[in-house]
Amino acid sequence: MGKIEWAMWANEQALAAGLIYLTGGIVGVAGQFRGWEFAAFGIAAGAFVCLLEYPRSKRNKGTSMARTGQYCFTVCVKAFGPLTRNYYVRAFVHAALCVPGGFMLATVLGCVCLGIASLIYLSAAIHGEHWEPILPRTESRAPVAESVKKPPQNPPPRPPMELRRKRMDDLEGAAYINPIAVTANEF
Amino acid sequence: MALSLRSWVANEGSKNILLVVWLTVNAVVFWRTFALYSYGPQYHYLHQILGMGLCVSRASASLLNLNCCLVLLPMCRSLLTHLRGTHKVWARSGRRLLDQSRSFHSACGTAICVFSVIHVSAHLVNAISFSVKFSDEFPSLNMAQYRGQDPRIIILTTVPGVTGVLMVVILFLMFTASTHCIRMSSYEVFWYTHNLFILFYVILMVHAVGGALKYQTNLDTHTPGCMPTNHSSAEDTSTNQERELEDWQQREPICREEAQFQSHFPETWLWVLVPLCVYCTERVCRYIRSRTPVTIVTVLSHPCDVIEVRMLKDGFKAKPGQYVLLNCPSVSSFENHPFTLTMCPTEKKRTFGIHLRVVGDWTERFSQLLFPEVSSGDHILPMMQQRNFPKVCVDGPFGSPSEEVFGYEQSVLIWEG
Repeated sequence: MGKIEWAMWANEQALAAGLIYLTGGIVGVAGQFRGWEFAAFGIAAGAFVCLLEYPRSKRNKGTSMARTGQYCFTVCVKAFGPLTRNYYVRAFVHAALCVPGGFMLATVLGCVCLGIASLIYLSAAIHGEHWEPILPRTESRAPVAESVKKPPQNPPPRPPMELRRKRMDDLEGAAYINPIAVTANEF
Repeated sequence: MALSLRSWVANEGSKNILLVVWLTVNAVVFWRTFALYSYGPQYHYLHQILGMGLCVSRASASLLNLNCCLVLLPMCRSLLTHLRGTHKVWARSGRRLLDQSRSFHSACGTAICVFSVIHVSAHLVNAISFSVKFSDEFPSLNMAQYRGQDPRIIILTTVPGVTGVLMVVILFLMFTASTHCIRMSSYEVFWYTHNLFILFYVILMVHAVGGALKYQTNLDTHTPGCMPTNHSSAEDTSTNQERELEDWQQREPICREEAQFQSHFPETWLWVLVPLCVYCTERVCRYIRSRTPVTIVTVLSHPCDVIEVRMLKDGFKAKPGQYVLLNCPSVSSFENHPFTLTMCPTEKKRTFGIHLRVVGDWTERFSQLLFPEVSSGDHILPMMQQRNFPKVCVDGPFGSPSEEVFGYEQSVLIWEG
């Protein structure tokens, strides 16, 4: 029930997958295992995915929680226009980047996780979602209405203090009838 | 200074003590398993093939067993509610620990993720070691079929390998959907992916069945590191024993027979079975309990989009401060939403009530079913007409920290949302 924002979940997955891809690439290159060239590609691809996915998108409805320090990343990602706005492009890019990871043992996990993120992005794109930058809102003060400039001069009419004070000596006289009946049992 | 320290100890002390105890237990279990696989004679030959990867992978596996066992227990809500209610057994500080149950569950979950990363990395190194250091001397120890076999084939053609990959995928889905951001915005994604845990546990119990890592069974007749004997068995026994004694004194005993290996008995189910059964039993009992019919007695509309719903349910007992989970099949079959009870049933009056504010899509749809026509909602009036209220299921009540409100001299209650 309700519209699930697939892109939000895909974004978390892609960021985690990028980190896994990067770590696997570092391990592969450091250990100089067979096929370390794929690990080197994994480092570059993992870093690229992390940078692309770090800025969160603005939500359609509700408050968007920006990640710490994401403003500069938002500006960079926004500069690419429709390439980064469209989730079909993102799904395709993630799918393409994950394939070389499958050829080397250290980056296999990064490949699988990025592939799953790519599928969720495809689902988000099919549901018509797109990336919106979270930019700080420039607060523009609305012009002050006419009536505010002329506040009332006199206080509202009230009975004098003596009548408003609570009458402790005459509780019977101070009681009043409740306009709405209050009953204990209502069924 | 002393006051702030005392109040810190009173508020945070027991939680931090529990954290330290849990970390210590994890460290002890890790170290014991690591030492067993590093120095244990039954793993001598396996250690020669795999090296440090064996010790790290098995130690992290034992931690995964421990944390998979612990992670389910804080989520047994009815059990915790019962414990919270037994004032004689638990002191107030003990009951306050129960407030941290969800944090403990997250801590165990994070530990599972971290140690899964370590466990998988170590096993990937093991796969490479099995491939490169294929043992011709002890062929039954090998997981590879020949020297230099592609480690990816080794992983994908064995039961532990395939189950491991599946578990990593499930854990990845669960972990990425349980971040704070996703829980706040799309709770359904979190809920449905988190319910994949049952699949995770089933696969976990199958994971160790393959028996990839073996230990030596005949330590008494074949000391690890002994000299392989090339003599035939027709020799005189006494001279053989004398020679053995000499050789023993020279630190190189002769092997009396070939080393024999056997797979480990999969012990994961010993750790995981009891909490899993407790949790599943509780879920089943909660489901059966929530199927008891609930009658909506009154629906009141309050200002600021607040609706009060008063209900009747057979055998429902609750204490102030507890909450219930409401499910309305007409709105959504699988969604359960928590609401604190604003009116508890007493001996004289068995109705209980909740106040809910119409904010999200579930509450909006629910309020449309309760008030079919558009109402202004700015004055309090009981609805006296006969109307067909939707069917609701109430699960609970569950305990919350607010239950302690009468135990203090002064309480400050802040109601939000």
